[in-house]
Amino acid sequence: MLKIKNLKAGIEDNQILKGINLEVNAGEVHAIMGPNGSGKSTLASVIAGKEEYEVVEGNIDFEDDDILELSPEERAQKGVFLSFQYPVEIPGISVSNFIKTSISEQRKATGMKPMSTKDLLKMMRDKMELLNIKSGYLSRNMNEGFSGGEKKRNEVFQMAMLNPKLSILDETDSGLDIDALRIVANGVNKLKNKNNATIVITHYQRLLDYIVPDFVHVLHNGRIIKSGGKELALELEEKGYDWITKEADKKWD
Amino acid sequence: MGLIENLKSYSEEIQISDDKKDLLDSFLSNGFPTTKDEEWKYTSLKKVIANEYNIENKGQVVDDSVIEKYSLGFENQIILSDGKLINIPTIKGVSISGFSEFESNTNDSILNLNKSLSQNGFTVSIDKNTVVESPIEILFISTTESNFSQYRNRISIAENAEVKFVERIQNLNNSSSFVNNFTRINCDKNTKIEYNKIQNNTSESQLIDTVNVYQEQDSTCDINTLLFGGSFTRNNLNFEQNGFNCESNMNGVSVLDNNQLADNHTFVDHKSAHCRSNEMYKGIYLDNSRGVFNGKIMVRPDAQKIDAFQSNNNLLLSENSSIDSKPQLEIYADDVKCSHGCTIGQLDADALFYMRSRGIGVEEAKAVLTYAFASEAIENISVDQVRLLSKKLLAQKLNVELDFSV
Repeated sequence: MLKIKNLKAGIEDNQILKGINLEVNAGEVHAIMGPNGSGKSTLASVIAGKEEYEVVEGNIDFEDDDILELSPEERAQKGVFLSFQYPVEIPGISVSNFIKTSISEQRKATGMKPMSTKDLLKMMRDKMELLNIKSGYLSRNMNEGFSGGEKKRNEVFQMAMLNPKLSILDETDSGLDIDALRIVANGVNKLKNKNNATIVITHYQRLLDYIVPDFVHVLHNGRIIKSGGKELALELEEKGYDWITKEADKKWD
Repeated sequence: MGLIENLKSYSEEIQISDDKKDLLDSFLSNGFPTTKDEEWKYTSLKKVIANEYNIENKGQVVDDSVIEKYSLGFENQIILSDGKLINIPTIKGVSISGFSEFESNTNDSILNLNKSLSQNGFTVSIDKNTVVESPIEILFISTTESNFSQYRNRISIAENAEVKFVERIQNLNNSSSFVNNFTRINCDKNTKIEYNKIQNNTSESQLIDTVNVYQEQDSTCDINTLLFGGSFTRNNLNFEQNGFNCESNMNGVSVLDNNQLADNHTFVDHKSAHCRSNEMYKGIYLDNSRGVFNGKIMVRPDAQKIDAFQSNNNLLLSENSSIDSKPQLEIYADDVKCSHGCTIGQLDADALFYMRSRGIGVEEAKAVLTYAFASEAIENISVDQVRLLSKKLLAQKLNVELDFSV
């Protein structure tokens, strides 16, 4: 589904990603771990198409199409979804209006018929039930005054409504207490199926107790320095990052 | 030639009283205000008055399809075509007639011009204890080319009455018309009024609009100004609070493009204690458009326990647009709560990326954020049709097909 080859990208003169290779197939969950500043969020933003990052080399193929030249909205319309580390507050737009606009624009772009308000509301109700979200939340302004947990749950709700092929969860666990974490993780698990894929970006192993990855990659200084199964995450939890980063630093310096 | 010359020759053709003649002579000798005048510092009338105008020309009869096109379809309609009253609704407890003579403050030259030569307008009186359920729609239609028209309107609301208005001034051709519209609103004790102005005239239209509101004890008056059209618009909105527990609310949304200019001048004169005023003006400027906001709040020495709030937020969506914003607070009482805030900014880049990452196209995302910016003021309007129209016109101005109405 997603093939990243030798991706080098940065912001202005600062190169952050120094040759990323990653392949994600349908039905898989990949965790990308790494210390602060390793380039995890940059990778997420570059896949989603944030324009301030400049890709200097390499490619990103999504379902065999090169998506690097596509705008963020075109990537989303193809089925890429980014759950933000810091979801943006948008006063003046209700959650329901935001999601309605998002769905109708995506359907318009992909040549689908608009969804009736009735069907849309039903879908919202179903997904809210699935994710354990209380009603009343739909009429609140987008992320405005939301707690950390509410913001992340709102991201997962959008994910449920948009039904993406590839979901990238950027530090979904940051700022969450254990109960909120469990709710969000359960939501992600419920949305998982054999046709979609998930990339979980996280600093800590904690989230991976709830969203169990098939593959774990360690990102350090803009490169994936180690990949393995879910046991790698546990090893990192126990030993920290130092034992592999030091080795990698020797290799690349 | 120009408007001053046009007015001179017009005044020679018509019969007016000596008082009016004096007023006009003094206006003509001083001329229109210039940018040297503090109240007109950022807005020049030079180009507007350099044009040639027909003064108060009477044109063709308008048919129902025109009215249908520009009205919001309320059952109560006051319609003036080239100044002539062509429709008056019958409403229980409400008397409506055409132009009437009444006083206005004489230190405003634009109002003096209005008083000296105006012969058109409407007069509405609402009886005591009358609650008018359906809004009264007022439509001023101008059919002739390059017309200079003046309207002088008076609304009097007697004790305990409630009423809502929706007003629209519409030119039927693309010439440079110029309207000088003045409305005086008297709110007696315990009255409630909402007055909505839809300013969406043709692209070459020019307007100076003045509303003077006089409020008595326990009255609430809301004036909502929705400015989308016209090349030149100057709004003067003045409130005078003359009794305890008055509330004056102002909501303004201006969405301008091309070379449009809009100047919103507001003045709240808190003359009495225990009163409130709330003011929220949102400006959205595209292309080469220009905005001016001047919000004056005066709290007189005996007007204690005043709660006055003013905000003016502006969104500059192009590098060539501009806004001059000036809050002006004069407070002579010591136990009052006054706050004001002014912001000028662009759309939030993070919010734009957030929306685009959800599949919303860049123009649509900008439009949604712009709507979100304006919505706070739009949502304060109680008349559904006006709110809906505002949303529709906003989407039109931003050139997107979006429905903001959920």
